Amino acid sequence: MAADYAHPEVLVSTAWVDEHRHDAGLRIVESDEDVLLYEQGHIEGAVKIDWHTDLQHRVVRDYIDRAAFEQLCREKGIANDTTVVFYGDKNNWWACYAFWVFKLYGHEKCLIMNGGRKRWELDGRAWTRGPESQYAATSYTAQEADPSIRAFRDEVLKHQRGGKPLIDVRSPGEFTGEMLHMPDYPQEGALRGGHIPGAQNVPWARAANDDGTFKSAKELEKIYAKECGLKRRSRIIAYCRIGERSSHTWFVLHYLLGFPNVKNYDGSWTEWGNLVGVPIAQGAQ
Amino acid sequence: MNSPGHDAGQSAAGGQRLAEIIEEFADLEVRERLETLLDFAESLPPLPARFQAEREAGDHRVHECQTPVYLWVEVTDGRVQVYGDSAPESPTVKGFLAILVEAFSGATVADVLAVGPDLLSKLGLVEALGMVRMRGLQAILQHIRRQVVAAAATDARSQSPPT
Repeated sequence: MAADYAHPEVLVSTAWVDEHRHDAGLRIVESDEDVLLYEQGHIEGAVKIDWHTDLQHRVVRDYIDRAAFEQLCREKGIANDTTVVFYGDKNNWWACYAFWVFKLYGHEKCLIMNGGRKRWELDGRAWTRGPESQYAATSYTAQEADPSIRAFRDEVLKHQRGGKPLIDVRSPGEFTGEMLHMPDYPQEGALRGGHIPGAQNVPWARAANDDGTFKSAKELEKIYAKECGLKRRSRIIAYCRIGERSSHTWFVLHYLLGFPNVKNYDGSWTEWGNLVGVPIAQGAQ
Repeated sequence: MNSPGHDAGQSAAGGQRLAEIIEEFADLEVRERLETLLDFAESLPPLPARFQAEREAGDHRVHECQTPVYLWVEVTDGRVQVYGDSAPESPTVKGFLAILVEAFSGATVADVLAVGPDLLSKLGLVEALGMVRMRGLQAILQHIRRQVVAAAATDARSQSPPT
């Protein structure tokens, strides 16, 4: 139950969002893998922020910079003191990604609607196909990017050499190295398959129930504390292919289980599997 | 890659419909392109009953695509028919699939093979959807091309007189 989570205040239910969605000082943000879902139907009043076309830099492989983030918030009617509620498809995978970017730039009040689109749909709540709501522009000032939640490759290498915990949240096939790339698209994957030596494989979706909500604190403890042996004092780095699925695991580890030091390595396998000379392990271990 | 020479060889039916769709997208703003793609997604014809059993068994899935996409390609007397299905929670994939189904149904084998990976940029979808979303969509196009080649070979054998 929510009360058992380390930070239960970051989760709100679909019923809560339905009741409070017109509250002043609250902005609902939809972030999906499928870029058309918002157009197909969204929660009335919600704005759309796409993980790729809005949150990623168009040229450099990076997130948008601080100035672009400020501009995005101003346009979406998000002020520094706005409470932002994220929701989306696929167990809130992309909602967690957007949440992470907002935390990167220091936005204080970020919430996740537990269960996302799926739970809203299962509840039989209303969708609207109307145009995106426009809100009065704000003046928004972002913080400098917070290095405490983002890992870069040199740090990951040091972390790996030090034998510190790494959680690889990709599918078992990607972890063992059986799946190197997709047929016809060798240039879009990594040149090497496998995982960062010492990493443990916990596919990200294990943290979610069938209805898209997060598993209970007890079930999550069982996976990450008992199975993986993660300790509260551990410095943990999570990664996947491009740092998207691992945002979900980052959220689970930090906010639901309360591990204080968790970073997302967004370079992830598409960087590591292409780096010259870094250690790689194949197979189940 | 597509060459102008290929375009010249296209039949009126298949090549022309695709050219019309490309033209339709070209005049649109990014937001309108998304809406048009959604219109296509919602106009994808329901899967014929004769394919339902295979669909439920998970056969005919395009494995390169993360989203479940199912495709059937038939070539009869040199004419292509494409049938497809995808989940309602994946409108982007469904929309692109619907474009290909509409453009390729009744087209010749040469029409389909003349369509190269630059189709997505011609439709303005790279700009509207972003680069990382192109891989799955390219996989659908490539899958159809491979299936068309295979089905065309079977079609040619059935037409040639027994030796």
